[in-house]
Amino acid sequence: MINFIIRKLLALIPMALIISFLMYVGIELMPGDAIDYMIPPDALASVSAEDLNQLRAELGMNDPFLMRYVNWLGDIFKGDFGYSIQSGVPVKTLIAETLPATLELSLTALIISTILGSLLGVVSALKKGSIADNALTVFGMIGVAIPQFLFGLIMIIIFVFNLELLPVGGRMISGSEAFFLRINHLILPAITLGLSMTAGVMRYSRASMLDSLNKDYIKTARSKGLKEWRINLVHGLRVAMTPVAVLVGFRLPILIGGSVVIEQVFQWPGIGQLFVRSIRAQNTPVFMMIALFSVLIVLVASIIVDVVTAILDPRVKLS
Amino acid sequence: MSQKSLNRKMDKLLYQEDNGLLGTSMQSRSIRKILANRLAVIGIISLTMIIFLCYAAPFFTKFGPDTIDLRNRLASPSKEHIFGTDQIGRDIFSRILFGGRISIFIGLGSALGAALIGVSLGTYAGFVRGKLDATVMKASEIMMSFPQIILVSILVTITGQSLWNLILIFILTGWPSMYRMARSQMLSIREQEYIQALKAFGIKKSIIAFKHMLPNAIGPIFVNITLSTAMFILQEASLSFLGLGVPLEISTWGNILNVAQDLTILRTAWWVWVPAGLTITIFVMAINFVGDGLRDAADPTQVG
Repeated sequence: MINFIIRKLLALIPMALIISFLMYVGIELMPGDAIDYMIPPDALASVSAEDLNQLRAELGMNDPFLMRYVNWLGDIFKGDFGYSIQSGVPVKTLIAETLPATLELSLTALIISTILGSLLGVVSALKKGSIADNALTVFGMIGVAIPQFLFGLIMIIIFVFNLELLPVGGRMISGSEAFFLRINHLILPAITLGLSMTAGVMRYSRASMLDSLNKDYIKTARSKGLKEWRINLVHGLRVAMTPVAVLVGFRLPILIGGSVVIEQVFQWPGIGQLFVRSIRAQNTPVFMMIALFSVLIVLVASIIVDVVTAILDPRVKLS
Repeated sequence: MSQKSLNRKMDKLLYQEDNGLLGTSMQSRSIRKILANRLAVIGIISLTMIIFLCYAAPFFTKFGPDTIDLRNRLASPSKEHIFGTDQIGRDIFSRILFGGRISIFIGLGSALGAALIGVSLGTYAGFVRGKLDATVMKASEIMMSFPQIILVSILVTITGQSLWNLILIFILTGWPSMYRMARSQMLSIREQEYIQALKAFGIKKSIIAFKHMLPNAIGPIFVNITLSTAMFILQEASLSFLGLGVPLEISTWGNILNVAQDLTILRTAWWVWVPAGLTITIFVMAINFVGDGLRDAADPTQVG
């Protein structure tokens, strides 16, 4: 097992290098360079081209392309992720400020959707054809078809404007950072994100539970005279949960990417909002770092998925 | 629709076929199977209706989608304006119809483009394997390791916002999943005996792949195209919401919904966003119904 994980981690390195290279090409393709942002436009007019060139040379911007890439990569390894073009704040600080908020939101949503989705999926598989099953199927169909932000807006209308139960957005009011005041802000975005991810998990776990219940080992278990709940929950569920675990694993990247829209709807001060803001402002260092960061999370998540799959499903062998 | 009633209908179809009441070609069986699926039929009807309304829009509305009427700002629904008007007096109904043209075009166009690239690469690479397959596989892995919305947003900023750029970006980010799907189909088909026979005859690889293998994988490909269309329409809406979609002057379903970000409009002028939201949801649901129906109809193992 440890061997397998190490091998996977090693295979991740060339992948990460290729992706970081593509990212760097992307950064270079963006219009303008750091000089344009370092010197105010009115001052720029009075600076001679020679001085500009010298400044560029001092900053290493006239080096060959590959050299610049290697330097950039080296800086990342040293923990220097570059600086925001607008404010000059290190990207590291920006990410460190916003990441906890995003994790708080998306982990809650991931937990909600995983528990609710697999539970409802299993219930509707066990009670196949019942009213509950049909109602859940319809709910699932609407859930996959409605744009996520629209769902968020509807939730705002219901719970904020009509019922006046919850605050409309933000993470906390400054000054009142007590747990219960904060959880008020978390409920709505987390439930919206969670429910919108539930539909997929539910469809998936229903299908795989039905599939698993038709397998021979279920018949074996039944012929051994085991109790029905034991057959369903121990023998059926274990294998049925494998594809669900895979699906949830593939959703780990959602921890960063998936909350982008919801964070915008609820003005949640997370990494997704930072991403959208930096994209709109063409703040290249910031959004490229967020992208690189999210890709690394995807790659690590895929390894976790492989390992968890192997633990859950005795038929899978690590190779 | 329950499996049981589907099976019963399938039995009836088989009975009619056995007695020579119907043609027996596989295609007509697939068509009859899909017509026996109630949800798929509902889906087909709603899709046809929405597409017809959008493309025949000038017959249903006398307002242009971009005609600004500042005297009629945020007018609530009336006989004149069925769905009311938006904050600069444009008729919402007309915007939905004309915007539908663009949204459907983006969804379907991107899905077809992605399918064209992904399926042709997947069909050929899945059959010949080797270096080509390994390279394309790696490329698709790289594309797929980005969270979709992050990759699309970055590409939008690099290329600039426009309708055609968006379609190209959707194609660029959409082909890997099509490639994987087509490839996995090919991998199972290539082991079959008729392929061995064709190879023994010395038939060209590309002819074997595209003429003799591809038709056997066409079912899942169609399913994938329908589902991708739905996905791209939803993505267009999300991007417009973030202000990164098609430029705001062009009406699309996403751009109509964009104004709901304004909490006052969200609260007081429901007609601005509810009809557009419903249209997207219904359209996407209908596509999903048809996609599921196609999947069952194309599945040769489900015959009774």
